[in-house]
Order: sequence, then structure tokens, then C-alpha cells
Amino acid sequence: MTATGSQGPRLEAVDVGYTYPGRKATQALDGLSLEVRDNEFLAVLGPVGCGKTTLLRMFAGFLRPAKGSVRCDGADVDGPGPQRGYVLQENAIFPWMTVRENVEFGLLAKGLDPGARRSVSGELLDLIGLSSFEAAHPKELSAGMSKMVEVVRVLATDPSILLLDEPFGALDAQTRARMQDALARLWEQRRKTVLFVTHDAEEAIHLADRIVVLSPRPGRVMADLEVDLPRPRSLETRFSPGFSALKRRIWEVLGLGAAAR
Amino acid sequence: MAAVPRGGWTRARRALLALAALALLYGIASELGRYWLPHRIWLAPHYVEDAELLPPYRSLGEEMAFLLESGILLSSAAVSAGRVLAGVVLGSAVGIVLGVATGRRPRLEYLADPWVTFFRFTPALALLPLYVLWFGYGESSKVLLIATNVAVVVLLGAQHAVRSVPHVYLEAAASLGAGRGLVLRRIVLPMSFPEVFASIRIAVGLAWVTIVVAELIDPRMPSLGYLLTLSGAYPRVASMLIAIGTIGALVLAFDMVALFLHARTTRWMGRAA
Repeated sequence: MTATGSQGPRLEAVDVGYTYPGRKATQALDGLSLEVRDNEFLAVLGPVGCGKTTLLRMFAGFLRPAKGSVRCDGADVDGPGPQRGYVLQENAIFPWMTVRENVEFGLLAKGLDPGARRSVSGELLDLIGLSSFEAAHPKELSAGMSKMVEVVRVLATDPSILLLDEPFGALDAQTRARMQDALARLWEQRRKTVLFVTHDAEEAIHLADRIVVLSPRPGRVMADLEVDLPRPRSLETRFSPGFSALKRRIWEVLGLGAAAR
Repeated sequence: MAAVPRGGWTRARRALLALAALALLYGIASELGRYWLPHRIWLAPHYVEDAELLPPYRSLGEEMAFLLESGILLSSAAVSAGRVLAGVVLGSAVGIVLGVATGRRPRLEYLADPWVTFFRFTPALALLPLYVLWFGYGESSKVLLIATNVAVVVLLGAQHAVRSVPHVYLEAAASLGAGRGLVLRRIVLPMSFPEVFASIRIAVGLAWVTIVVAELIDPRMPSLGYLLTLSGAYPRVASMLIAIGTIGALVLAFDMVALFLHARTTRWMGRAA
């Protein structure tokens, strides 16, 4: 599927540093290196303000690293592109378009005719159970629904890489769990290379193949953990010993363990 | 929406009530005025006899009947409204194009900013003698004066609207592969539409202010501006009041059409203007 195949990483950050300018300059990232392999679901986990979003914006092409380099398929990232689907942390659903127009926007940009657009959007809306809302405007959707529309809007153009920035961060716990299940199902159906940023350890464990834990600002890699839990993941997974052990491990790395401090 | 006080009335009913109260007060004042206000006033360079400073309803009715029967009022309203409309359409078009262009392209704004500022602080009405010289005594100088006024307001509105399109929408669209044209058509224009429209509404009010002055250029009937000037020269206060009332009613009508269009095109926002 890709030029590099399974040899090289799809996404790669090499010794990346970034400092936000200003009267009190903020160092967001310092000497961060990580890679995401082909078709791997990598979660980047870290406390609020550790530079997770900064890192993701670099991969999305909206920010250039001040130090080091950010690469996609071996080439430096130079601006945004539809091969890297990016779901922002903020609500970025277009409120003046219907749900269907939102999902079809990337296809419109590609120049697909209405019939072709419709068949893709129909299938995706069906997948997330929102077919009956296709003509609705986003104001009629709940927060969880509209975030899911944003996710499938990105999937519509079939990017091989997904960059997700705490997509479910603003949702309540139950809705978040439901959305995580929906995302896990989507990913199991259509494998993609995913870089998922979150501050929620359980979310990271439930979704990812591998978790990179970042330190508080400036963000550095503190741990790189394989998630060795069977797929498809279910409610059982969330309460399995392996899940708990990993969660404990992460909390210890973050300095929240009983032994720490 | 803020809570309506207990037993609260709709806006339209309150407006009607206020109007009725005003009409009643005016009736009383004009009847009293017949005895207390001077009938002989100094209007340089001579005295005017039998001036009705607050014409009673009888005089207003007679004057209204004359202005309607002679066709003066309706043709004046139509001509003035036509000029306002032409000026608003032309000025809005220019304002939107310039506002969007400068709002979207920082380099263009960098170049255009001093010019915009210059025009912004130039009282457009002061351009009147200049426009007469440049564009003659015909329709063009009147319409262009209104258009200039409108364009400045709409330009600033459109520029601000375009610049305040949330960056999340622009970034989401760019990651979905949208080019400049698509972003402009499907993201920037729909998102800035409400604010552009609000600035046009303000500009329409301004256009009606301008028309009264603009119609002093080569004053000729039919026109509401000249009707006002003429009734001031006689003086006929009844005509003046009718002309002022007609302009007020037309401003209200223009604004209601604008509000209706605004509500129709921004239903996605789920709130009123």
C-alpha cells in the first residue's frame, strides 16, 4: 500500500524541539523522538500542556519544528495534505453545512461528482449510525455525534494516516467510552496508521497498539509501552488484568504511583 | 433570549403602543400649539405669516391627500428608494470584494490599509461638491455618493468578518485537501456572511441619511430629499413631517427585508440576528 512498506516508519519525529515565542517563551517540546509504523495505532499520552498538540500539529503540517525534523514516509512534512487526515481537538465541524455536506467536503475538494460523493458519505454515516441525520445541521447533533462526524469526514478521503487530537476529550465518560468503541471498530475494519493524542490512560490502552508516555512540559518520551491486549477489544478488555497492569505502569511512569514522591 | 417580563408584549405590539402614544401626545401638543405657538416667524430675509410649527391632524391630512393625489409622494419615494438601492448594491459589491480580498491576503491588506483608513475618516458627505465636479449633476453623483458611504462600512465589516473565521475551520478544510477557491466559497464566505450582512444593514441606514443630502445636488422633483428642502423653503411643516415619516417608514421597510433575508440564510446558526 505504501512506498516504504513495512521497512521504514510512516511517521517519524527526530529530536524535535519547539518553543512558543512571546514575552514569556514557552518551551513545548525538547529533544522528542518517536516513530509510528505502518498500520500501527500509536497513542501519545501525557499531561495537559506537555506539547502533545504541538507535536500533532507538526505532523499535520500546520507548525514547523524549531529543532529537529518531522517526517512522513521519509520526507519532511511540508504543509497539510489529505493523505494525513487530521481531527482537531476543537470542534471543527462546519456548522453551516449539513452532516452529509460535512462528510463529503474532502471528496468535493478532490473533485468527485455528487453521485460518487453520496455513495461514500452514505456508507460512512451508516457505519456510525447517523444515516437519519444526513440532512441535519450540526446544531442538531450531540457533542459525541458531531465529533464522530468529524472523524468520518476525515475517513471519507481514505487517508492512510490518521492524526487524532484528543477527539473525545470534551465528552462525558459514557459517551467517550461509546465513541472509543466506535473508533476501535472503525480502525479494526479499515486499518490505518494512527497517531492518537490523549491525556486519558484508559483511552490510550483501550485503543492503541503502543503507547508513548510524555513528560510534563517540555515534552520528552518517558516510556514506550506495547499494548499486548487481544483485538477486537471489548468491555472485557477494560476489566482484564493486563489492562489494569498497564494502567498501573503508566501511572507509575507519570509519577503517580504509591512509591513515587 | 432574555426573559420577557411578566405579561410581556411582543416587540411589534410595544412598537404599536409607543406609536399610538406618540400620535396622541402629538395631537394634544398640536391643538395646544395653535394657541400658544407663534404664527409669525422670522425666516431670513422676511417674516412668514400663518406658519404652523406643529400642524394639527387636519392640516396633515389635507397635505397628505394633496401629496398622494398629485402623485408627488409615491413618485418621490420610488425615485429616492431606487437611488438608495442602486447605491447600496454597488457599494456593497465593491465593499465585499475589497473587504474579502484584504481580509484574506495579509500582503494586500498591508498595502491597502492606509487607503482604507483615509477613506474611513473622510466624512463621505463632504465628498459631495467633489462628486458634483467629477460626475456631474446627474444620477451618477448621487448614487456614487451613497455607494462610497456604503462601501467603506461594508469593506470594514467584510474584512473583519473574513479575519475572524475561526482557524479551526480553515485548518480542517486545508487538511481535507481544499484549495484556496474552495475554502473561499465554502468556508470563508458562508462563515462571514452574517457579519457582512450586519454591516450592510448599518450601511442601509447610512444610505438613507446620505440620500437626503445627495438629493440637494441638482434638486428636482420627484425626490424625497428635495421634498424636504422645498417644504423647508416655503415653509410647510406638514410636508416636512410627511417626508420625514416616509423616509423613516422606508428605512424600516428596507431593514425588515434585510432581517428576513438574514434569517433565511443563517438558519444553520439556530439563533436570531
